[in-house]
Amino acid sequence: MAEAVSYTEKLKKWDRFEAEKFSKKAPVTTPYPFIDIEKPPEYRGIPHINPEKCIGCGACVNACPPDALIMEWDKEHGIKRLTYNAARCIRCARCIEVCPTGAMEPTTRFEIATDNKEDLVEVVEHKLAYCEECGEYLDFTERQIEYVKAILPKEIFEMYALDERIGLTQEAKMRKTVEKLRETEGIPVSAFMLVGEVKDKKGGEK
Amino acid sequence: MVTTKDLEAHFEFECKACENGRCAKADVETILSEREGLKEFYEAFKEHIRECKRMTYGQYMFVIDREVLPDAVLWWHNHPEFKETHMSTAVGTDERPLNGHFVYMPFLSVQVEHRNMDRNYWVFLKAYLPADDPSFPSVAAKLPAALWIEREVKDLLGFNPVGHPDPRRLILPEDWPDGVYPLRKDMDYRHSPITEPKTEYRPTPEGTSLVPLGPVHMGVEEPAHFRLFVKGETIVDVDYRGFYSHRGIEKTGEGRLTYNQVLFLAERICGICGYQHSVSYAMAVERLADVEIPDRARYIRTLMLELERIHNHLLWVGIAAHMVGFDTGFMHAWRIREPVMWLVERLTGNRKQYGMNIVGGVRRDILDYRKEEILKVVKEIREGTKKFLDIALNTNTFIKRAEGVGILPYKVAKAYSVLGPTARASGRRIDARLDQATKTAMAYNEVDFKVPVYKEGDVLARVLVRMDELFESLWIVEQLIDQMPGGDIMVPIGDLPEYEEALGFTEAHRGEVVHYVMTGEKNKVYRWKVRAPTYNNLPAIPEMLRGYHVADAPLIIASIDPCYSCTERVQFVDVETGKVKVLTEAEFNELSIKYKGVF
Repeated sequence: MAEAVSYTEKLKKWDRFEAEKFSKKAPVTTPYPFIDIEKPPEYRGIPHINPEKCIGCGACVNACPPDALIMEWDKEHGIKRLTYNAARCIRCARCIEVCPTGAMEPTTRFEIATDNKEDLVEVVEHKLAYCEECGEYLDFTERQIEYVKAILPKEIFEMYALDERIGLTQEAKMRKTVEKLRETEGIPVSAFMLVGEVKDKKGGEK
Repeated sequence: MVTTKDLEAHFEFECKACENGRCAKADVETILSEREGLKEFYEAFKEHIRECKRMTYGQYMFVIDREVLPDAVLWWHNHPEFKETHMSTAVGTDERPLNGHFVYMPFLSVQVEHRNMDRNYWVFLKAYLPADDPSFPSVAAKLPAALWIEREVKDLLGFNPVGHPDPRRLILPEDWPDGVYPLRKDMDYRHSPITEPKTEYRPTPEGTSLVPLGPVHMGVEEPAHFRLFVKGETIVDVDYRGFYSHRGIEKTGEGRLTYNQVLFLAERICGICGYQHSVSYAMAVERLADVEIPDRARYIRTLMLELERIHNHLLWVGIAAHMVGFDTGFMHAWRIREPVMWLVERLTGNRKQYGMNIVGGVRRDILDYRKEEILKVVKEIREGTKKFLDIALNTNTFIKRAEGVGILPYKVAKAYSVLGPTARASGRRIDARLDQATKTAMAYNEVDFKVPVYKEGDVLARVLVRMDELFESLWIVEQLIDQMPGGDIMVPIGDLPEYEEALGFTEAHRGEVVHYVMTGEKNKVYRWKVRAPTYNNLPAIPEMLRGYHVADAPLIIASIDPCYSCTERVQFVDVETGKVKVLTEAEFNELSIKYKGVF
């Protein structure tokens, strides 16, 4: 097998006008598919999902122009599935930009030709958080909730009583608010308790 | 020290809505007196004008009655003072969900003064058509520049241009059923019906014979079918059937994507001038959202646009050399071009389809140590191209094949609204980089360069125009590197205003690229119209071919630097061959539709 000429070396030897360099010239052609060619470090190849870091928030799915990233919910088994299909990918690297945890990792890989379509697909499965109160799965994954707990300041947690409410489904949260309203009937309460539901959800999705 | 003048200037920007002419308080008189010609037009068509407003800086809209459309378009086009005014294109919109009407809107680029972007402007002539009778008097009967666009709105939206000289199907494939209009809002973007194909070729004129050229062009390797009617060796007339690579991009953009996703689809309209489309689209959205992008982003965009122009002109001159049988020149031109591709790969992350843009700025910064690299490549290319031109222009085969061939006179070029280097080779003094207000998205107003114009109008003039432009581009790149300001590279846009319209445009290496965007609800695009320069240049091809030999035809066609995939934005079905294997063809299509989206 012929030796591959590195990218930078090739740049130096490209100019073919000078005849005196001609003897030292490296072959311009390479036995390409059998050797790995060097890409510049800036090259935008196909991305790769790091399952350790991924929290399953779906920011990449919202940003992806060609639907190469798809999010599916399996509420029966409590699973949220993130599928990445390299065959649809246009390598725009939008997912890498929007990922909050850096789970989408850039690579310089671009050869994706294969005889098996399944080689092109990456699947990451996440456990959905479970609501103890109503016995149903939430829309969010366990890791999302952990992440929210880690980034939100303490005051906000106290303000919205997130500690006890973050692991509840939307219905359970609404029920709780209604109960609280009944308890405090006639007494003026701060406004955030009343609009708390909407804000809660935003916090959870983030 | 702050003077009163400064304060006054500052106060003008206080009310953003008034500033835009969208505010109810905005005075019609003030708007009309902003630019020359507007008032004159208003006086001439007073009783037919329903509304006039400023859409954004340098873009004015008149809502007029449909009866006067041809007169109004011709009023601007044949204006005695604004000589280089041309009808850019038109856009048809289905606004029935909003107000129960269809809209047909031609727009013109008005050139008051050459190279002065603060005096020139765009004029939109909007005509509402009733939903039960979407017809309007044809502009094309008097102005050939409207020939294609009226056939397009007839195909895609079901409008009826009354009095159109050539009302055949243009865009939709031959096996598409009649009465199904893809761009109407009640049609889903996944729907793709098929019927028996029928063809509508023009009959061969008496005393001539037919030489089919295509469906695949021999030089440009793209699908386009020319039917040359010849008398002996001489071409008498030409029929064109193209749009084999229409992909329904506009419908996809309107159907499913958000405004930032459309940007990446826009970049993939064309493999050659992708960045121009991307910048045009981003500019349109920025204009309608009224966002000013940082200076550094403007400079980086301009730099990438010019690098793209450099390698595209080299690519084209290579193809031209190949077409005249000068293959050494072809090889050398492409060898000189290659370092630019390596350079942009390092700057942006890809050789083509840079993915650099985002609405509101750019995504990658140009690091300072890269500047050396860019200057080195620029120097190499300047030397290489000089050497190449020296050889090519002293080669007799090249000159003899190119000189005096495919002449496009100025008047024809103007009537067809031919754009870009093709127009400049015929003596039209136009260049969208300086003629229209590109300063909001690009930095052309801060660099100095010339716009080369030739009067000959033949293929050689087109070669020379492009080569002169290439050297100007190299000079622009050097200036940009020198002047590059610091700072941010993007501003976030946030939510878009609803149902606003604006135009984005750049001068691609083939001519002006125009993107019209109208926003819908929830940050989606309601209507997105793309007009590539080839769309205006290609209808003029028959005029260039008439009277020349068949052997010159591929060269003349290639000389406008046609890009078919830009121009034709559906999965395609070819037809005439279908006679033998109609079944297999239909089956194949059904299968492909069934499994579309699986992989």
